[in-house]
Amino acid sequence: MLRRKNYFKQLLLSLGLVLFAFIGLLGTITPVHAADNSLQRIKQKGVIVMGTSPDYPPYEFITKVNGKNKVVGMDVQVAQQIAKDLGVKLEIKQMDFDSLLVALETHKVDMVLSAMTPTETRKQSVDFSEPYYHARQSIIVRKQDKRLYKNKDSFKGKTVGVQTGSLQQNLANKQMKGTKKKGLTKVTDLILSLETNKIEGIVAEDAVAQAYVANDSRLASIDAGFDLGGDETGTAIAFAKHSDSLVNQVNQSLDKIKAKHLTKQYLASAGKYMATNTQNVSMFHYWTYFAKGIGYTLLITAIAVVIGIILGTLFAMGRLSKRTFIHYPAVWYIEFVRGTPLMIQVMFVYFGVGMLWNNIPAFFAGVVAVALNSAAYVAEIIRGGIDSVPTGQVEAARSLGMSHRDAMQTVVLPQAVKIIWPSLGNEFISLIKESSIVSIIGVTDLIYQLRAVQAATYRGVAPIAVAMIIYFIITFTLSRILNRAERKMQHD
Amino acid sequence: MTEMLKVENLTKTFGENKVLRGIDGTVNSGQVIVVIGPSGGGKSTFLRCLNLLEKPTSGKVSFEGTDLTGLSEKALDDIREKMGMVFQSFNLFSNMNVLDNLTLAPKRVKNEAEAKAQTHAIELLEKVGLADKKAAYPDSLSGGQQQRVAIARALAMDPDVMLFDEPTSALDPEMVGEVLKVMQDLASDGMTMVVVTHEMGFARQVANEVWFMDGGNIAEKGTPEQIFDHPQNERTKDFLSKVLAQ
Repeated sequence: MLRRKNYFKQLLLSLGLVLFAFIGLLGTITPVHAADNSLQRIKQKGVIVMGTSPDYPPYEFITKVNGKNKVVGMDVQVAQQIAKDLGVKLEIKQMDFDSLLVALETHKVDMVLSAMTPTETRKQSVDFSEPYYHARQSIIVRKQDKRLYKNKDSFKGKTVGVQTGSLQQNLANKQMKGTKKKGLTKVTDLILSLETNKIEGIVAEDAVAQAYVANDSRLASIDAGFDLGGDETGTAIAFAKHSDSLVNQVNQSLDKIKAKHLTKQYLASAGKYMATNTQNVSMFHYWTYFAKGIGYTLLITAIAVVIGIILGTLFAMGRLSKRTFIHYPAVWYIEFVRGTPLMIQVMFVYFGVGMLWNNIPAFFAGVVAVALNSAAYVAEIIRGGIDSVPTGQVEAARSLGMSHRDAMQTVVLPQAVKIIWPSLGNEFISLIKESSIVSIIGVTDLIYQLRAVQAATYRGVAPIAVAMIIYFIITFTLSRILNRAERKMQHD
Repeated sequence: MTEMLKVENLTKTFGENKVLRGIDGTVNSGQVIVVIGPSGGGKSTFLRCLNLLEKPTSGKVSFEGTDLTGLSEKALDDIREKMGMVFQSFNLFSNMNVLDNLTLAPKRVKNEAEAKAQTHAIELLEKVGLADKKAAYPDSLSGGQQQRVAIARALAMDPDVMLFDEPTSALDPEMVGEVLKVMQDLASDGMTMVVVTHEMGFARQVANEVWFMDGGNIAEKGTPEQIFDHPQNERTKDFLSKVLAQ
């Protein structure tokens, strides 16, 4: 008996190792490129997918066109020109700036236009076009403080904000040695930090800085005075490695844009959008943004709850099973999922599983990840409920000649449901809040829309407050409904 | 008198702990056996081995001529129908009212019709004096009432033998009497019973035979008069002197 147990332990251990090795392997798979068919592939698809992080006006940002949310800006117009020259349609995928290059490598997008500078480090993992725009670097400061600062060297001993993963972060790290840097993903969050005195300046491209200064009377900008070399001043388009044919074709379009000085025109029209955006910064004006976000948040949660309860029940039964080959996989699943952050699970499903399934939609990936995560927690809740029914209840049923299965169905489970109902309700409510993590892969849930409104209105706090109140109203209403159901059940 | 239960060299070990060290005994039809002895002496484990709620480590348990130790779970379910059990902590199904507690097993195990099961249940509730409580939920009943319902529930299956596992130990003193009364009535109706209890008065009045258990063995067996008035074993004497002195 003892030997057999050890054997099982070893088996499980090696199963675990195989699982980890598999995950590790996924990370090292590099797509094989026998021949460069990047251009041919786009033409065959008839569509080119552009990845961007639309929180960076005037390069890319979200505005309302005819009542619909749309990504606009200089980069979008450059991409439109490219698509036109290729004779294909343009599709835009939104995601966090940090996720853009991963999306390229995993072929979620064909090109990235997101005010990206072709640094040496980036060139190691992706290909770049010729630069299509050259910008100076500025530092955004509070207007009343403008006279305190001359250039980057005036910030010694102070804190400046930078967008994580950006060229500006790199420059600040290298050339602003005595200055503390605070990295945030969103420019809108950086602006908010500046206005609430958490940082003293924001390193940003001049065009971006000008856009914020023009739309927010509390801000001003100064020249950063960085020592820039070569390509690092320009903005270019990123492609997956080994896309020479596509890059060459795109460079021709860029040459045309440069020859006609079209970027100037693009910036001007972006400015027009920005002006209409800031004309009406009342949150009511943006209710469609929030409404869409609420819809997605509720939809994700509802689907995840249903799948979570079904799978959770199965995993709970599995964990309670005396058969080792059912018991241990269930235990492993539950422990693994509960022992890793939901954020990483979402990224793993979207990017990791996405390597095997190229066109995995972000919404689908998000729902699957959230549901699989919830299943583990629900399984533990259900197991706890079953465990908390006194064993005497089963014994009494068995002593009357009832089978184990019958005792479970008629005596244990009805009691367990009553016990777990409150915890299950809590899980449901926390899922509404936690599902917000899917915004990192570009699912347009409430958090994502909040970012969009921030970017569109240049207002940091108001959209946060609105989203917060919306979340509260949803969860509060839901907890009332669940309480009522619980009370009704106790009376039965 | 026919042999109903027969136990041969029964042992039970939990890990390193030998709880039963070779029990032998016979329960004849219509007999009331009362098992007494100090706590931790293996009385409850012995009783739970009789319907195999506890699996014996070795030895034989025969019920109406069938050895139960080798049976499948499914075959055991059929046997347990005929062996009613009453627990120290009542174990009424807390998600059902009194009537449903009584009718559940007859309906699900014996496929009895609702009406028939209910008529039978109400008869039994009248017998234990609780017909007016048929719609009540267990948590609204006193301990004594719950235990009487539990007895009625076991009787609803028309068992051949009733096993009582310290049925009055969890009760407030003023409720012990009503439960013992029901058990006494049952005994005078001729029910075969095995009762583990600390109620010496009940043992003396109702038992045909008293088994004294200590340290995993049956140290002494006899009529109530033999055990209570002329105990032979030193441990029996010691136990009784402590219990009866109270």
